[in-house]
Amino acid sequence: MKLLSALALILGLATPTLAGVDEALDDHILPGFTAFAAATETLAQAARNDCRAEALRPAFQAAFDAWMPVADLRLGPSETGALSIAFWPDPRGFTQRTLSRLVAEDDPITSDVEGYAEVSIAARGLFALEMLLFDPEFAGYPAGSTACELAATIAADLDRQADALAQAWRDRFADVLRTAGEATNATYLTEDEAVRAIYTQILSSLAFTAEKRLGGPMGSFDRPRPARAEARRSGRSLRNAVLAAEAARDLAAALADWKLPETDAALERVKDAAARIEDSSFQDVTDPQARLRIEVLQQAVQSLSAAIQAEIGARLDISQGFNSQDGD
Amino acid sequence: MTTRRGFIASLLAAGAAPRLGWAAAGSPSFLAAAREPDGSFSLHGLDTDGVSTFRVPLPARGHAGAGHPHRAEAVAFARRPGAYALVVDCARGDVLHRLSPPEGRQFNGHGVFSADGTALFTSEQRSDTSEGVVGVWDTGAGYNRYDEFPSGGIGPHDLRLMPGGETLVIANGGIATDPTDRRKLNLPTMRPNLAYLSLSGSIRDLVELECDLRQNSIRHLAVRHDGLVAFAMQWEGEPGAATPLLGLHRMGEAPILAQAPLADELAMQGYAGSVAFSGDGREVAITSPRGGRLHRFADDGAFLEALSRADICGLAPLGHGYLTSDGLGGLISIGADGPHPLARLECAWDNHIVSL
Repeated sequence: MKLLSALALILGLATPTLAGVDEALDDHILPGFTAFAAATETLAQAARNDCRAEALRPAFQAAFDAWMPVADLRLGPSETGALSIAFWPDPRGFTQRTLSRLVAEDDPITSDVEGYAEVSIAARGLFALEMLLFDPEFAGYPAGSTACELAATIAADLDRQADALAQAWRDRFADVLRTAGEATNATYLTEDEAVRAIYTQILSSLAFTAEKRLGGPMGSFDRPRPARAEARRSGRSLRNAVLAAEAARDLAAALADWKLPETDAALERVKDAAARIEDSSFQDVTDPQARLRIEVLQQAVQSLSAAIQAEIGARLDISQGFNSQDGD
Repeated sequence: MTTRRGFIASLLAAGAAPRLGWAAAGSPSFLAAAREPDGSFSLHGLDTDGVSTFRVPLPARGHAGAGHPHRAEAVAFARRPGAYALVVDCARGDVLHRLSPPEGRQFNGHGVFSADGTALFTSEQRSDTSEGVVGVWDTGAGYNRYDEFPSGGIGPHDLRLMPGGETLVIANGGIATDPTDRRKLNLPTMRPNLAYLSLSGSIRDLVELECDLRQNSIRHLAVRHDGLVAFAMQWEGEPGAATPLLGLHRMGEAPILAQAPLADELAMQGYAGSVAFSGDGREVAITSPRGGRLHRFADDGAFLEALSRADICGLAPLGHGYLTSDGLGGLISIGADGPHPLARLECAWDNHIVSL
């Protein structure tokens, strides 16, 4: 495929800009999963030493930070793999319910790292751990308790998941993206489709941040919904929104081999808007002034998306899905 | 297959131009609507290798279609709320008839011919109440509408002919919509059903799901030769509920719900756009353009596998497995050894592939 592009260049043909798939993988996606796997290793190690909430929180925060650059990818192994690492939103409270039951019943699975992969995805991953480490219903558990063992088990299971995901991307799915357009590739029938797939991920991530991470707690003006803030127990709601926006910009920059001045400026406005927000978990959203500041952040995230669409989408002539945007 | 009466009637209707069989349209096995690169819309015939055998322009975006059992004639339905359907001569590329629903009605995107091809049944709803109606049209007499009967529910969508050709099965989606903007009016109280009707409209069986699934709109259908019906659903309740999107049913029995593991179900985003049995009938699949994935199930409802493909929606039996189409122009065959790209045309395939 590189030969073909080179040939097209020599012949002076219009070359679609395709260099980005390798860069997106090598500069952003694959290192992101490797770093996340390292952070969860540290977290699991910490939990083996001391599984109490207080002791685990720093490694938990670091692991969540490491997750955010790749959190919103829903391609290949991440299509379902991301859900058992970050089960959110959870409007029906599956995570709390499942964890309460496991602890109350002193279920032997709480100390079975091997078997824990069979437990409901609502009780696995970062949000299950967050519930144990930060929610008043659980967080005071002593060493040696079921909850403490469960925290260590979830951390170990998370570490395994992170390794498996990093490996699946590195050994399998990266090649599916890189071989787009080859005769046997039934996922991406042309090279452009792989570019389009990654580009779509950037926009969906920003839409998710605007609609769920920010729009969720904003609710309606008459009825704000602070309980819908992502990772509010660990005070990460704002941080996650900003990290997701940075990840979107970084992935966009890797995908494009040209400068993205509007996108960069739009990210700065996201950070400025975020800096004005006082409550890192959006629990002040019930105050109209505070809600307005979140709304300003939401608009900045939408502007970032618009900038990426203008600077990348328009240039690559990528439009939204024909069927996915339509009913029936 | 052609009855003497039907044959004479078709000669009469056709006037000077004799009606041609499907061979004259390149012997396609499938029909599929598409948006072309210039933004225009068309109906394609496709053979089993994914080659387009004919292309007829359509005035607007199509939804599904129906192919006449012997004549190279297809009915292409406009998207909801459908003000018209076109009867197209697929061999010559001409529009033979333009069908309009009666005043105060709209087509709902799907239709099916009777086994002998003499009648066309169309899925419709009353614009004011969304009550479902099946329209009956005489294909031998210039597609005159000569009968209609209630569909057995609100907002019908897909309808199919059961084996034997004496019973229709209809997906009454349950959603009442605003006649102008398709706004959904009754989501809190909707009650979809699967209705089996005689060709004159008497109800032979009617299936509703449990109350907690009443916001699962039953919309698309596939029928196996032995009468097993597969129905695909679209969840209208709170997002993230991860309800089953596929059901299997035999007349007179209780439905079986086919569920994927939670993470897979969530990735479908509560939406199944098409359903088909595999060519060998041993399994059944649904597609989700929103999730960009296809789910395969055994015919007892057990989950087998998920496949990923952006904007995938169209689905039909091919060989032992399936043919899929998508908004990126891809046509992919799925066999026992996995998916294989057949072709990629410079068009965006619309929601459905119709088997001929």
